[in-house]
Amino acid sequence: MSPGRFRRSSVAFVALLAFVSSAALAQTPRRGGVLRVGNLGEPPALDAHWTTASITETLTNHLYEGLYSLDASNRPIPMLAESHTVSRDGLTYTFKLRQSVKFHNGKEMTSEDVVASLARWSKQSIYGKALFAQVADWRAVDRYTVEMRLKEKSAIVLISLAVPNNFGAIYPKEIAEKFPPEVKVTEYVGTGPFKLAEWKPDQYIRMVRFDEYKSRAEKPNGYGGGKTAWVDEIRWIPVPEVATRVAQVETGELEFADDLNLDAYDRLQTNPNVRTIVSKPYYWLVAVFNKKDGLMTNAKLRQAWQAAIDIEPIMKNVAGGRAEFYRMDSSLAPVEIAAWHTKLAGLPWNEHNRDKARRLLKEAGYRGEPIRFMTTQEYKWMYDFALLTKQQLEDVGFTIDLQVVDWATLVKRRNNPKEYDVFTTGMGAFYDPTHHIYLTASWPGWTTDEDILRLQAELARETDPRKRMALWEAQTRQFYEKVPVIRYGDLFGLRAMRTVVKGFNERTERIRFYNVWLDK
Amino acid sequence: MTAYLVRRVAALVPVLVVVVTVAFLLIHLIPGDPVSVMLGPDATPAQIHAARQALGLDRPLWEQLLKFYTRILRGDLGQSYFLDRPVTQALLERAEPTLVLTFSALLVAVVIGVPSGIVAAAQPGSLWDRALMLAALLGVCVPGFWLSLNFIYLFAVRLGWLPAAGYASILVDPLAALRYMVLPAVSLGFSQSALIARISRSCMLEVLAQDYIRTARAKGLSPAAVTWMHAFRNALVPVVTVIGITMAILIGGAVVTEIVFNIPGLGRLIISAVLRRDYPVVQGVILVTATAYVLINLVVDMLYVLIDPRIGYE
Repeated sequence: MSPGRFRRSSVAFVALLAFVSSAALAQTPRRGGVLRVGNLGEPPALDAHWTTASITETLTNHLYEGLYSLDASNRPIPMLAESHTVSRDGLTYTFKLRQSVKFHNGKEMTSEDVVASLARWSKQSIYGKALFAQVADWRAVDRYTVEMRLKEKSAIVLISLAVPNNFGAIYPKEIAEKFPPEVKVTEYVGTGPFKLAEWKPDQYIRMVRFDEYKSRAEKPNGYGGGKTAWVDEIRWIPVPEVATRVAQVETGELEFADDLNLDAYDRLQTNPNVRTIVSKPYYWLVAVFNKKDGLMTNAKLRQAWQAAIDIEPIMKNVAGGRAEFYRMDSSLAPVEIAAWHTKLAGLPWNEHNRDKARRLLKEAGYRGEPIRFMTTQEYKWMYDFALLTKQQLEDVGFTIDLQVVDWATLVKRRNNPKEYDVFTTGMGAFYDPTHHIYLTASWPGWTTDEDILRLQAELARETDPRKRMALWEAQTRQFYEKVPVIRYGDLFGLRAMRTVVKGFNERTERIRFYNVWLDK
Repeated sequence: MTAYLVRRVAALVPVLVVVVTVAFLLIHLIPGDPVSVMLGPDATPAQIHAARQALGLDRPLWEQLLKFYTRILRGDLGQSYFLDRPVTQALLERAEPTLVLTFSALLVAVVIGVPSGIVAAAQPGSLWDRALMLAALLGVCVPGFWLSLNFIYLFAVRLGWLPAAGYASILVDPLAALRYMVLPAVSLGFSQSALIARISRSCMLEVLAQDYIRTARAKGLSPAAVTWMHAFRNALVPVVTVIGITMAILIGGAVVTEIVFNIPGLGRLIISAVLRRDYPVVQGVILVTATAYVLINLVVDMLYVLIDPRIGYE
């Protein structure tokens, strides 16, 4: 090789080496830094047992852990539990707990903490109540073993212990017993990778690394697996005005901003220091019928509504015209919840068949009485899809009385069957068929159809996965025939992150900042 | 004079009773309750009922009102449902940001408004007059929200000179506090300066038309001396009134500014409290704001006596 060529190729080689090693270095996590996250507002509580509010879900999953968690395909995997066994008759679950797991106050987690915590959870949480309705006995066997005896076979034990919302967080026994279930805890001690340092309402919530956190040995997997607190501190800052959240992630005052308006997408894309994230799933849009009282108790009217609407233009509009932010799907569980996603043909979803709708209206004996349709502007996408629906339905012969109220009023009124006929809401991710609240008799809307309720009860008992899926598919067909609610499409959300933030899992429904580090 | 003062302070009580009672009734009568909000949309009716009982919300309204009065007389404003702390603590935590914003915005408003009004009045009909009054008109018409967001976009996002939002305590880090306060104080102050400018101008014009001003000019005093030494003080009384009203409005919490710039003050607190139906906080903020409003009016009335010795009360 000539000297010139040798020099050039060695320069090239050194350059390549430097590039590869800096790329490798950029992927090496480093400890340190404060991660500032801008979110919608204040949590009503930092007690995971107490409320289903999604902001509480996000925050409490950094401080506390449950016996199980969800993997990347949203199936249950052990977290504080080491393993479990099920008796031959399927009625006794024995959980072995991990050892040497410390609480933030230095105490070791043992079976008495688990028993007390889940007993409290069973009285307050919707998932706890649903599970423990099937439980005959719940006790500690020895220091690291707990036992659950069921009244009948149950399909929902592990998944109920794994869901992240309103979850079975393990508190120290003293705290679980000190605060009755209907009173929020005001002492925050968990086993999670972060502990609470300071909470100044409307200013910030500071969580700092818990140095004695005992991580699982596996790699991170969905919400579970190994967790490492790389950053020294997560500072959660409530920024109620969305335009300000966007501005602050652009200027670098925040490293992460959640729940952004879709209009900000184009602007954020042009910023080289910001990465936009499309969050899926976010909400799937529904219009819920009052089936206890009033006009919509008439099944044909509900079917007429379902036949009339043309969903795609509505979704496109709500998503700001951007295809990246919506998805058309008839499945009641989104694609991301792989175990329960259905691909059934021939469902009367999105038929946009006006003639069929008019025929059904006639068969229903509808004489043009105004239908009270309740929505709110506090979630712009709810208001938008309500408005567009009203237009489409009125073209077919419905008379819609659109009532716009604030969220607190909507949540209150929808519990009273005299006050409305239909209301808008968004559904989040349900990890199990039995968690679909709109298929129950007690949730607003009051679904009391015998076939639907019977299938839900069977789904709670049937443990064979293939049979369960068959039941779920049957339930999906029932859903589209009886129409307890109208399912629109899936809406996605927008998040933004500074490029110095590394290791963030973009595929989970809600944000998590363990295993995340700052590259600066 | 003392008797007058005592009477004015005593008159505070019936005003507050009415204000607080009306606020209590209004917030309790609108639909929605704090428990449904806090428990999340998927709470069961049984859970909601249990939580309402724990908070005493299932008692009849007159009983709750009576309990509220007895607590106030003891100086206890109650416990926030949402924030899990005494209302008085929540208010004290929020007082400093609102006061700092109020005074900064007021300073900006007065510094822009009063001189504008005076200069405009000194040369009525001139280019200066028209330009300043046009600016004042813009200040009244331009929505504060729009102005604030544009300031953020220009000075924070594009130029990077100032932070987009946030707050630092003046007691802890005065330099940072100043940086955070510039944009909110200027956008809020500009909106409020408009009224002050227009009132200053009208009052000055009225005073400048008086005979004694003509005498002063005839004596050979410079225009500056005439304006500032003689005319200004006499024009002050209505201007001070407007400044007082502006301050009272700002104390109530410049809500939009606090939300856009993420300042943890009373305005933001009351809005979130209303949306969350956090009754004790709403009542507490209204009580404090009403008291502040009445006291400011009293102070303004007392200031008149200082400014204009002809004014006296008995």
